[in-house]
Amino acid sequence: MRPVGFSTTPNLVLRLPMWRSRLMLFLLFFVFMMLLLRAFWIQGPGNAFYEAKGVRGTQRELELPASRGKILDRNGQVIATSLEAKSVIAYNDTVPDDLAADKVQKLASLLQISEVELRKKLKEERKQVFLKRQVNPDVAQQIKQLEIPGIGLNNEYRRFYPEGEAMAHVVGFTNVNDKGQEGMELSREKDLAAHPGQRRVVVDRLGRVVEDVAIEQLPQNGKDLQLSIDSKIQFLAYNAVKSAVEEHHAKAGGAVVLDTQTGEILALANYPSYNPNDRRNLSGEQLRNRVLTDTFEPGSTIKPFTISIALEKGAVAPNTNMVIGAKYLVGPKPITDTHPYTNLTVAEVIQKSSNIGTAKIAMNNLSSEEMWDFYTAVGLGQSPNIGFPGAVAGTVHPFKKWMPTDQARIAFGYGISASLFQVARAYTVFARDGELVPLTIERSPEFKPGTRVLSAKTAIEMREMLETVTQPGGTAVKAQADGYRVGGKTGTAHKLVGKGYGNSYRAYFAGLAPISAPRIVVAVMIDEPTGGSHYGGDVAAPVFSTIVGETLRTLNVLPDSKVKQMALEERSPTEIRTANAQTQHMALKR
Amino acid sequence: MNRATLTLLALLLVCALSLVAAQQRARKLFIAQERAQIEERQLNQEWLRLEYEQRNLSKSARIRDVARNQLHMVPISPERTLYLKEAQ
Repeated sequence: MRPVGFSTTPNLVLRLPMWRSRLMLFLLFFVFMMLLLRAFWIQGPGNAFYEAKGVRGTQRELELPASRGKILDRNGQVIATSLEAKSVIAYNDTVPDDLAADKVQKLASLLQISEVELRKKLKEERKQVFLKRQVNPDVAQQIKQLEIPGIGLNNEYRRFYPEGEAMAHVVGFTNVNDKGQEGMELSREKDLAAHPGQRRVVVDRLGRVVEDVAIEQLPQNGKDLQLSIDSKIQFLAYNAVKSAVEEHHAKAGGAVVLDTQTGEILALANYPSYNPNDRRNLSGEQLRNRVLTDTFEPGSTIKPFTISIALEKGAVAPNTNMVIGAKYLVGPKPITDTHPYTNLTVAEVIQKSSNIGTAKIAMNNLSSEEMWDFYTAVGLGQSPNIGFPGAVAGTVHPFKKWMPTDQARIAFGYGISASLFQVARAYTVFARDGELVPLTIERSPEFKPGTRVLSAKTAIEMREMLETVTQPGGTAVKAQADGYRVGGKTGTAHKLVGKGYGNSYRAYFAGLAPISAPRIVVAVMIDEPTGGSHYGGDVAAPVFSTIVGETLRTLNVLPDSKVKQMALEERSPTEIRTANAQTQHMALKR
Repeated sequence: MNRATLTLLALLLVCALSLVAAQQRARKLFIAQERAQIEERQLNQEWLRLEYEQRNLSKSARIRDVARNQLHMVPISPERTLYLKEAQ
């Protein structure tokens, strides 16, 4: 018997089809190919994704904080600054659902919200919820100590306004995201805004920063802004306006103080005001910067300008005598005066504020075009270019549309409109011997050349007439300030209600001081005074007097009028020094 | 292995170790710098806060109240002021 190998046992021979082994071979080969391809993909083209994943595990983007610029007054005093504050955030997927009741209660009381409200916020679908923004540092510390998982603190800034109400309309305020909403905060947003930076760092397992990778963006703090406003003058102007509004039960009031030499706005006060530190009532009427945004018929405050044109032309002189009379008929409605006069000189027309006198001077000597040109030259009907949001232009209709009756009324300030700010600006013409000064709200304490619109002779003549307004016989004796010669013009305008004039008034006074070398222009407006008199000379002039006296003393301007002094003798500095030395000597001896 | 290889190996080891040491120092310094930066920021904030506090204490309204009510001062008035002429 031929030996037969085990494998060749015919019985045991499996007749496997060839394709099965082939298939096996192919499958194995295929799987290995797939693995190879995958490995190639991960190492090669698909690598970026994995690298990014790796980086994300070890690297973080951190924000480099930057703070908003400060706003300073002309003396470098802070009037708006940003301080760090924390906001409380809940990461709702991390906050446990079965949070201990006492912790919820404590957190709610720290956040000053009700427990129900807090629970509702924690149940919200969003991933992260602001529980409260800008909490005080001590409260933030207490919240941190509660150690509730998922409740985090975030750094942000909160704006503070130390001067509060007095400065509110000038500075404005920011919203909760530190963006300017009103006033200078809004108009200079671009400069003040902070640009936070960003950097990439390597963190370890515990999240500590161990290495800088790159600074992707440098943080940029906002630029500081220095205004021309003087906190002290602003404060005293605000208080003068406030007490006048309260005394006369008026609706509102405003005042502007301008430096005639540098064109700087020293104060811009409005009442009613608001506290910009308190976010709850940052809306409504009291936000309006009436000095710049409210226009009114400037009334008698325009008379000096009308008469200046006639003086400039040589058509009249301050001592020219005029027949006034009780009525002056131009158009359907006669023009009248509060007190009828028979005869007045041109200077007296200003002093007594005669409507008829002014209208006659305009109708007899001036063309509509001349008047329009001059009003426009002093800035009426044009928006003041000082970069304040909402500053209005007022209206002076084109002279071609003026009827004679319009011309007569425009001559004494009816039928045109302007803001108090524009009126104040126009008065710089008289203060600067005929030059209109460009105004600025940013500090720039150098002398500014102006645009000449009147000859110096006319401006000085008008200044003298304006002084007579505040002297006995004038309409604003109450405008006198202790120690300083002042001049100005009252205004009392009927307020337009719908299409006609109602029974409410606006009282104002615009003037300059000291007359011998004018340093400031002050304009005051009191809206709808009700208790007693509504005349500018009674309501607005005393405010002018207070502001002028205190401002000039603050600015160390030497008095130019005689004052009774309590000191009996005049002594020179040397004499005083000797006297002081003597008293000291005596004291030492003792 | 000849001598050159051995020297190179030793050098390599020394380099590797010094690299580790340098890395460690860099991290330490970095952490110190990081701390200093945080402190700088805190001091800056503190300065701003103090400036604000000082301003709050020196704001016009407060000065007026303190002057009038605590120190019993009165506003300047020209009648009570002696104006000195500058020495010639």
